[in-house]
Order: sequence, then structure tokens, then C-alpha cells
Amino acid sequence: MNERDLSPTCERASDLIGFIYNEADEREAQDFKLHLRECSSCREEAAAFGLVRESITTWRDEALAGFVSTPVATTTNRKSALAALRQFFDLSPLWLKGATAFALLTFCALVGLVIFRSNNQQIATQQNPSAIYTAEDVNRAVNDALAKQQANAQRPVESPSEKERIVKYQKPKNVRPASPNQFAKSRRPLSRAEREQLAADLRLLSTGDDEPLHLLGDRINQE
Amino acid sequence: METLSTDEIIVERALTGDAEAFGEIVRRWERRIFALTYGMLGREEDARDATQETFLAAFRNLRGFRGEAKVSSWLHRIAVNQCISRQRRSKVRSESPLEDEHETGAASFAMPLSYSPARVAEGRQETAAVRRAINSLPIELRQVVVMKEFEELTFREIADVLDLPLSTVKSRLYTALRQLQMRLQKFESRN
Repeated sequence: MNERDLSPTCERASDLIGFIYNEADEREAQDFKLHLRECSSCREEAAAFGLVRESITTWRDEALAGFVSTPVATTTNRKSALAALRQFFDLSPLWLKGATAFALLTFCALVGLVIFRSNNQQIATQQNPSAIYTAEDVNRAVNDALAKQQANAQRPVESPSEKERIVKYQKPKNVRPASPNQFAKSRRPLSRAEREQLAADLRLLSTGDDEPLHLLGDRINQE
Repeated sequence: METLSTDEIIVERALTGDAEAFGEIVRRWERRIFALTYGMLGREEDARDATQETFLAAFRNLRGFRGEAKVSSWLHRIAVNQCISRQRRSKVRSESPLEDEHETGAASFAMPLSYSPARVAEGRQETAAVRRAINSLPIELRQVVVMKEFEELTFREIADVLDLPLSTVKSRLYTALRQLQMRLQKFESRN
């Protein structure tokens, strides 16, 4: 079958189509009927096309006889995320399932750890609310300590033990005490006035109820 | 009193959220769209699928319907596109709808019970030949024949659906009928 076979044999092929499908108006139809009387090719084609149309109609009627209306879902069924995940894992290979499970477990462990730590921190805060210091708290504590220290420094010494404690506290630790030999070498003999002063000082330390001390200096002086 | 709504009014209702409105469109046009897809594809199962896909595509693109064309033309255009893409896919899969097709029960049910088995067999052969002849037409000729013979659309409606001049529709239909005539003659001469 080539193109020449299919080319219209009459120039009024378009009118023929309108005529056989009853889409020509009354005047065109009358005009074409007159043409058909004269044109044998159009007559033959009109008859042949009629048979073709009959065959098509027969097939159409048979085909559509079995047509049963099927409901068309106009609401799109969206899968839930869980269903989609399940379908994805059904289709995925074993190694991917394993890797995903491992990743999921690791993630869960990390999340659990984070939650555990945050809970512990909360408990510690509740048990010792002052554990968290603000700058104001620190300043206040430092000021209190300084004030206490100043008050201690200004308070008169009431007992030798307290004086000793203060002296001991104020004595720098890194100063190495001199050895007894060094002390003996550097010691010079006390003068009389110094000895008396020392004796007087020592007497001040004793209470009035104590027995009088037999001081070496007194003996020396008596001698 | 029940008022008859036009397709365009029903589409308007569907656009405003009336869930039943699109169902009305489906009920109105389902049979004709099925006829079109059956004529284009030549297999009942494919035609059903293509019909459903046509209405689903129409529903999804409802907001894209601008009302410039008629709803019927819009639906037919979607159906034609569905058939063309379906045929392309089946070509890729090297499927032949004509050779694979078995006679469905529909054809034999349509035959009167008084027909002899020989007559039924002859009728089946004839319808199979027509189906083969139509399906062997090039797509641009086939869609014109199917729209005219299966759906009985006017030339103007076919021209609107396919966005073609009226004269082209007529010349394509003429060519299609000539080809079908020759193929059916061959079939008759063989038998």
C-alpha cells in the first residue's frame, strides 16, 4: 500500500466525509447527492466506507457491551509513614536492614545517654540548689570572708593560744627556719636592760595567782 | 425540581470542595472515555486502566482546568495522552496488544443466542479483523476514527480536542477509512 493508493480519487473527498457522517448542511447534502450521480469513484467510496463503518460499529457494540462501571477513587490514598517504611524495608536487601537496625540502636543509646545525663544534672541541682553560684554569690562570699578576716585582725588578743594561732597562721611557710647553730652564732649576749625587759615581759604573761618564778636573770642579778 | 448542571458547573462545585461533584463527572463521561481508550488500545484491561488513569489525572489537575475548553474536550485530551503514553510503554516492553489479545467474554455475550456456533465464530473473526485493522493505523489516524466512530464526536469537537484544523480532521478521517477498507478487503479475500 503506497501513498498513491490512499490519495483521494475525487477532489470532493472532504465533502464525501461530511456527507456520510451527516455533518453536511441541507444545501451541501443536496449538492453532493447530485455529485454522486455523476462521480462513480465517490459512489464506490461511499458504499465501501459504509461497510467499514458497519464493521466498526459491530465491534464497538460488542466491546462496549461488556463495560461495567468501575468506581474511581477521587481521594488519593496516602500511605502512612509507617506503611511506607515497612514497604521500603520489605524491598531492601539484608545488609541495608542490618545497617539501619544498627544505626537505630546507636541512635537510641545516644538519646538514652543524653536523657540520663540531663536527669542526673537535674537531681544534683535539686539536692544542692546552691551548687550553682552566680557572680553575685561569689562576690558576696569574698566580701564576707574579707570582712571576717578584718574583724579577726582588729580583735585584741585574748589568750596566748589564740595569739599563737594567729602567729602560726601569719608565718610564711616557705621561710626555712634557721638551724640552732646558726641561731647560736648570731646570738649576742643580752645587755642588762634587755634582760630586765625580757623578764618584765615574761612576767606579764603570768597571772597574779602563780607562784613567783625563779628566773635565771634574777639570780644573775642577785649574784 | 432537579436542575441539570453543565459539566462546567459541576467542575466549579468540585473546585469548591464538593466531594460528590467529581463523581458526577466520572459517571457522565466514564463510558465514552472507556470507548475511546478501548478503541485506541484494543484491549479491555488496558482500556479500563487507561480510563481510571484519565479520571485520576483529571482529578489531580482539576485546578489547572481553566474553563477555556469544554470539560469533554479536556477529558478526551487527557485520555488520548494516556493512551499514547501507554502504547509507548508497551512498545518499550515489546508487547503487542493485537497478538496477545484473546477474545473476551463480552463479544460472545453480545451475540444473539440463536446464532449458530459457526456464525459466532465468523463474527468473532470479523471483529478481531476490525480491531487489528484499527490498531494497525498510525496513532494520528486511529484517534480520529475512534473519536468519530466510538464516541460520535462532531468534526468540530475532534478538532477542538486534538487542536487541529477542521479540514485536517476530515482528511485524516478519509485516509483512515481508505486504509481500513483496504485491510478489511485483504481479510475477506483471505477467507
